[in-house]
Order: sequence, then structure tokens, then C-alpha cells
Amino acid sequence: MTRYAMAVDLSRCQGCRACVEACKIENNTPSAVFWMYVFRLEQGEYPNTDISFLPRPCQHCENPPCVKVCPVGARFKRDDGLVLTDYERCIGCRYCEVACPYGVNFFNWRHPDEAFADYQVAFDDPDLEPITGGAIPAYKNPDHDELQGEEQRLTAGSSHFKGVMEKCTFCVQRVDKGRVPACVETCPVGALQFGDIEDSESPISQFVSTKKQFKLLEELGTDPSVIYVGGTPPTHEAREIERPLTGVSHGNA
Amino acid sequence: MATPETKKPLPMGVGSIGAGWLAFMGIAVVGIIFGLVGVLVEQQQGMVSTGMRNLGTMQGATWGVYISLVVYFVGVSFAGITVAALIRLFNLDYLKGVARMAEVMTVVALVLGAAAIIVDLGQPLRGIVNLFRYARPQSPFFGTFALVISGYLYASLVYLYVTSRPDAAVLTEYRSKLRGFFRFWAAGYVDTPDQRERDRRTTFWLALAILPLLVVAHSSLGFVFGLQVGRPGWFGTLQAPAFVVLAGVSGIGHLLVMAAIIRKVLNAEERVGKRAFAWLGRFMMVLLFVYLYFIVVEILTTMYQPSIAEQELSEALLTGRYAWLFWGSSAALVIPLIGLGWMAVTRTWRVSWLVVAGIVVNVGALGKRLLIVVPSQTDGQLLPYGTGTYFPTWVELSVAVGLFSLGAALVAIFMKVFPIIELEESPEREEVSV
Repeated sequence: MTRYAMAVDLSRCQGCRACVEACKIENNTPSAVFWMYVFRLEQGEYPNTDISFLPRPCQHCENPPCVKVCPVGARFKRDDGLVLTDYERCIGCRYCEVACPYGVNFFNWRHPDEAFADYQVAFDDPDLEPITGGAIPAYKNPDHDELQGEEQRLTAGSSHFKGVMEKCTFCVQRVDKGRVPACVETCPVGALQFGDIEDSESPISQFVSTKKQFKLLEELGTDPSVIYVGGTPPTHEAREIERPLTGVSHGNA
Repeated sequence: MATPETKKPLPMGVGSIGAGWLAFMGIAVVGIIFGLVGVLVEQQQGMVSTGMRNLGTMQGATWGVYISLVVYFVGVSFAGITVAALIRLFNLDYLKGVARMAEVMTVVALVLGAAAIIVDLGQPLRGIVNLFRYARPQSPFFGTFALVISGYLYASLVYLYVTSRPDAAVLTEYRSKLRGFFRFWAAGYVDTPDQRERDRRTTFWLALAILPLLVVAHSSLGFVFGLQVGRPGWFGTLQAPAFVVLAGVSGIGHLLVMAAIIRKVLNAEERVGKRAFAWLGRFMMVLLFVYLYFIVVEILTTMYQPSIAEQELSEALLTGRYAWLFWGSSAALVIPLIGLGWMAVTRTWRVSWLVVAGIVVNVGALGKRLLIVVPSQTDGQLLPYGTGTYFPTWVELSVAVGLFSLGAALVAIFMKVFPIIELEESPEREEVSV
């Protein structure tokens, strides 16, 4: 059996957020939406402070609370461990979001194509052309509109619908073609690794095998597929600094 | 059946529309329009027009007033079947005057609960189809949608219908425009001893069957929160029973207010007697006692040796940002309890004070529902996200006003097409049927 997992080496992460950017471009996520997110955490009192970074994709839990509570089975777990959302079935009740302890779910509070530049790229928006000067046509990855996996459900990337929940997919459209998620591919220091954790020969298994590991909020029994090495879990003294815009304002824009 | 046609007006104000009723409906319709505007704006702009936002990085609350209203309305529905079942099980005949209005209240409250769910969905039309098409009993929402809205509502409608047929049969004897409607409603029921006996047995067993459904349905709403470990303050075995009990408090409180208004409007002080009010008041007092006991147990449990997240949440509730709402709604439950206790000790049940208590406990219940839903999303995050904020927008508030107005209008309309207080069996009818 395949079980896809991501390894995050905290000792390598320098907080450049290239993964966040790669994710936003790959999945064309609306503003204030971070499928991949990097906490910048500070502990202690100035001048004796300790700064650390914590990348946070969806944890793709083996025992996902979001899948359990979904009343229509739109959130589901594939046999290979990917926890995905069927955008055509989701009714937008947001139960998955309150059930998830990791805060990885993002709801489309309005139509994603509205208010270009403030929200997300609408590929057929005529305003887009003067920006690119016609030299670089806006390119929409056709893989996003394809049905994915054995189940043949619409689960990939950038097809955002108003009133529907979404979250990190581990870039299912790339994984199904044998590639790694965009964040992993982009990381300049190799802090992110991706692969089949069940296969002891796979690079990710080799990567984590000798290192001390932890998973986020392991005590909740969710059994995440994101394995952290080279660091310690965030303590409760950790304060988040350098926060993004909360997105509370994006609604009024 | 050879009964003479009555030329008297229909009883209980049925069919007669007065200025007061029109004024009431006028206000209700304005409220409904207000709510519809809110719904339209939400449909047009998306749920960005509400005060809800994502948890975590967006520092919002993704469930707000709407879910609180779902829980509240389903809670209010508690009274109808409970009262009906108690009348049947314990032969509390003096409660008969409030039985039908309680059943109507149950049905209306469940309809409002369903409506509140629909406005909360990002994809309402999809929701109506998919909730049934892809229903998953593993989700606590299955209880809310399928058990409460379909099972409980359907059973309550059947119960309301079966218990109302004898009155419909009586009303067909009046010469009125609604006669055909009553004939249709009675559906062949002419009150023979056979039919009466069959209906008596049917309603008895139906009441018995609905009681466990009621407990399951209200518990399932508690499970929506009580089964979640991902948010502080939610996980716990007390959630389900506490939901049932607070449902009882708000439902009985609502019924007290409704009964007082209806008996005033219909001049039915004799039919809805003081004994009924005293009994409902006592029942509400007992439920309030139980609920406050639950609150104290819960506070003690979370305060004794809390995890850090639980501690953050408790602080926000008891002394922090939500303290005004927490202590306000606690007072709205405790003060009526003291008043009810006083009335019980001195045995002076004043209807006016019971109405005040009914209103105040409902305000408290609404506050409690909000406190269950919102603070666990904004405070005590398990990962180092910032503290969130949630404040409803006018869209959510206007939808709330619209829902309450819709409920009032539905009850008012029912009162004009059917007696909302069971008709007394006149002695001559007894003769005919015996």
C-alpha cells in the first residue's frame, strides 16, 4: 500500500515562504488563503528570543476528523492517504473546518473570480492582458479541471467555487502524474520531502529514518501524514509574529 | 351524522380577521421582507456579506449566528411533543389547553431550524439534494438534518394532524367558507366511538415513539459539538444531555409566552387555566435547575486542571472578551430560576411573571448557544494562530429577524385556519357519539 507523506525538516527551513508562493501559483488560491502556510514563531523575551519557522500544509491525517464529520462525503480520504475535497459535492456547511484542529480549511466566502487582483487570477479576465502585455499569456493548467484518481472526482487545485470548502491537496494533480507537490519542488533548501512512507526504500523514508520526528497535535489521535524532523513541536509560549493580512478586510474590499 | 348545521361563527377566532391580526401580520411581513433582503444579499455577494471568516490564518469564526439559531430553534421545538406526551402518559388533562399550540410551536420551530441551516450553507440548493442523496450517518450533522428535520418534523406533523381531526370534524358542522377545507382535514373522521378509540391509541403510542426520537434528535445537536476534539470547550459527554435540557428550558419558556398571548387574544382564560401555567412553570424550574447544575459541573471540570487551550478559553469566557455574554446569559437563567423558586415556595403562580421568565430564559438560551458555537473557534487555538474575532453583520441579523417573523406569521396564520386551542367536547356531541 502506498501512503503519501510529507517530511518537513525544521532545521533547514529558513522561512523564505517560497513554498507558500509556489502553492499560491500552482493552485491559484484567492487572497488571504494559504493552503501552505509558514508560521514565524517567537519565544522568550527580548533580547533573549528564539525564532523558529513551522510550515503547515494540510496534515492529510490517517484518521481525519474532517472526513468523519462531512455530512455528504465530499471530504474523503483516498487509499493512498490523500485527504481531498470533492468540489462538486461540497454543500458548504463548514463542519470540516471546525472539526480540524490544524486550521487548514479555507472557505470560498464569495465568488473567487470577482475583484481581480484583490482576490485571485481569473484567467479569462480581459484586465489581465495589459498586465502581461500579451507577451506571456495567462496560462491555466488544464490538469486542474480534470477528474482525479480512481474515484474520478473533481478534487484538484484551482477550480474554486463560491460557497465551497477547499484546502491543500498535496497537489493531487501533480502527485497523480508522478511528481511532487509544488511546495516540495520549490523549496530551495530541501526542507520539504514527499513520497511513499510505507516504502522503506523511498527517499522520504530514508530522509526521516535516522532523525527524531514529531507530528503536530499527535495526542488528538489524528495520525497526520506530515512528519516534522529537526526541531520540536511549537510550545504554547510560542507567539506568531509576521502574520499575513487576516483576510477580514478582503470581504469589504 | 344527523347534526344540525350551526350558523354561529367558527370558534377560537378561526376565519375572522380583525384589525389586530392584520396589524400583527403587517409587522411580521415587514420582518420577513427584511430577512429575505438579507438572504438575497447573501446569495448575491456570497457569504462574505456575513461576519463569518475562516479559522486560523484569517482569525475569524466560520460558524456564527446561523448555527446558533439552528441549535436554538431546534431547542424550542422541544416543548410540543413533550407536553403532548406528558398529557397522555400522566393524564394531565388541565394541560390540554396548551397541547395544540405546543405542537404547532414544535412544527414551526423545526421549520425555522431547517431554514436557518439552509441559509448557513455556502451551496444551499446543492445542500437540499446532497444531504439526502449522500447522507452519512457517521456525521453528527446527519442527526441534525435527517433525524431532526425529517424524522422529528414529520412525526410531529403526523401527531398534530391526528390529534386535530376530531376538531376538524366538529368544524365541518359550521357553515363557513372553510368548510370544504375542514372536511378535507377531517378526512372521513366523524367521531364515532370506534374512530375515537383508535385515535386515542394511535396518539398514545405515537407520543411514546416520538419521545425517544426527541431525545436522540436534541442529543445529536449536542454531538455536533461534543464529539469534536479539535476545538477547546467542545469535547465532552455533558454536551448532549445539556442540549436536551436547555432545549426544554427554551421550549417551555416559549410556550409560556405563547400561551399567555393566545389566551388573552382569544379570551380563553378558562381553557388555558392557571394550573397549566403553574405546571409549565414548575417544569421549567426543574429543567433550569438541572441545566445550571450542568454548567457548574462543566466549569469545575474545565477549571480544575485545564489544558492550556481550555484555560485560554475559560479565561475568555469568565473574565475576558466573552465575559459580558457569559455572565449576562447566566444571569438570564439564574434570576428567572430564583423567581420561579419563589413562586413555587409561596404557591403564587402569576402568569405575568411566568411570561417575563419565559422571555428572559430564552434570551439566556440564545446567549448560551452563541457561547457554545463562537468562542471555541476564536480562542484557545491548538496551533499558534492569533486570537480570532467574530461579529455578525446586518445580513445575519436581518435573516434572524426574518426567521422570528416567519415563525410568528406561521403561528398567526394557523390560528386563523384552525383552532389553536383544542375544542371542548360539547355534551350534546357526547350523546351523539355514544
